[in-house]
Amino acid sequence: MESLVKQSLYDVVDPELGINIVDLGLVYDVRADASNNVVIIMTLTTPGCPMHDNITNGVKHRVSQVEGVGEVEVNVVWDPAWNPGNMSDRAKELL
Amino acid sequence: MKQRSLRTAVLKLQLQSLVIKLIINTNFQSNTNIKLPLAFILYALLAFVAAQFLLLFHSNLLIDSQFRLPTIWMGAHFLLLGFAAMIAMGAMYQLVPVAFLTPIWSQKLGAIQFSFTLVGITSLSLLLGIKPDIAVYGGILTIIGMVLFIFQMALTIGKQKKKNIITYFVLAAITCFFLTILAGFLLAWNIAYGGISSHNTILTSHITLGVAGWFTLLIFGFSYKLVPMFSLAHGFSMKWAKLAFFSYLVGLLVVIVSFGMQDTTLRTGGWLLLFCGFTFFVLDMKDILSKRLKKRLDKPFMFSLLAIVNGLIIHFIAFMLSLFAVNHLTIWSWLIFLYVMSWIIFSILGYLYKIVPFLWWTFKYADKIGKEQVPNLKDMFNEKWSVLLFILFIVGITGLTAGALVQISMLVFFFQALLAITSLAYASSIVRILFH
Repeated sequence: MESLVKQSLYDVVDPELGINIVDLGLVYDVRADASNNVVIIMTLTTPGCPMHDNITNGVKHRVSQVEGVGEVEVNVVWDPAWNPGNMSDRAKELL
Repeated sequence: MKQRSLRTAVLKLQLQSLVIKLIINTNFQSNTNIKLPLAFILYALLAFVAAQFLLLFHSNLLIDSQFRLPTIWMGAHFLLLGFAAMIAMGAMYQLVPVAFLTPIWSQKLGAIQFSFTLVGITSLSLLLGIKPDIAVYGGILTIIGMVLFIFQMALTIGKQKKKNIITYFVLAAITCFFLTILAGFLLAWNIAYGGISSHNTILTSHITLGVAGWFTLLIFGFSYKLVPMFSLAHGFSMKWAKLAFFSYLVGLLVVIVSFGMQDTTLRTGGWLLLFCGFTFFVLDMKDILSKRLKKRLDKPFMFSLLAIVNGLIIHFIAFMLSLFAVNHLTIWSWLIFLYVMSWIIFSILGYLYKIVPFLWWTFKYADKIGKEQVPNLKDMFNEKWSVLLFILFIVGITGLTAGALVQISMLVFFFQALLAITSLAYASSIVRILFH
């Protein structure tokens, strides 16, 4: 389930940068319990990002569409803060 | 009977809790209130076009560099209050919650404030041009609207848990805004009833506090948030920010005191401090941009960055003019014009291509992200068209200033016409975003 959810997050694109949130290195962890309730721990490039609500809601929407997923919780954390080193080579290339 | 009412009460509670759960679970909509910022922005675009066409119809006054005439007051107030201040206020309704992580104190007060400001600025600008002796009444409405705005922002920013340098820039800008309004009211009062002998000192302070205090400090403050965000900068220091803040603030104070004392040496010192403050700000922006991850910056954003360079050059020229005691009114008038257009207005014109797509995207696509394919912000406007408009703005401003300084009326008319048409095309390109 966790890998399925993580795969689905490639479809959530930051509309400002035009790059998906996994390649941007915003997703820290995906956890699923026995009932397939999913918790996504993620960050954003900066606190006070205007896209905060939009991106987290996009994550909820997309993960809710994954078959078999129960409740979806998105936890945005600032510690550790986002680091450019988290980005994939593809994201770096696109920038 | 008792049992039945108890059962009904329990059922009601269960129903309420279900509704609350439903609201929580389906509340994917963003918290951004787009109506208020958009209302400000749409009015501002109208005022922008009106100001440019007003200046076009009276371009003969520009040739004579006659800035202190009712028609020019009308155009200037449509441009600076109707456009620039309305955009600044509208943008703050969106940016303050983002930058300071605190919600707007009262959206209802925002709507009331917008109504007062809209009627106030429109009537003030029109009356300044048509019947200046009663412009004070438009001024009163404008003051009410703006004081409500200041009250709103003070209460909103006051709730911010941890204040930072951006907070202080914005608070200082708001204070300057308040003093600008106060000085403007005194001027309108003096035109209507007379009795204030220091009209010129108040006028120069009004202009300095308005364009250099309110707008520049506000752009400084928000640039510290927006420039790293739009360039995706990481690991920058902002080490010059405090120096920029204090130099600019003290510079403003010294320049204003020098107006009152009519001390030119003090004024040169004030301009030097303002130039230093601007330079410190530029050093930070340079550092931020050198640490950016986004190598290909969006063109409208680059236009806003170009405005920073313009601002620095104009501050340097102002200092040099003051140092060499060049007091020619025409030169200073056009320098103020360039300050307003190529620094303040250019900054706004660039950032609007960021703010409006964001607002409209949030309204239209926020609940669709993750469910279906949604456009990127950049897809919501034609970037190539925006570049053409920006080039026309640069050509228009440069040609207009050159034409006025060499006193060729044909050139002034032609370039002001170019500016008016470009403004109309710009406004329509922003409105077109709302049809995406």
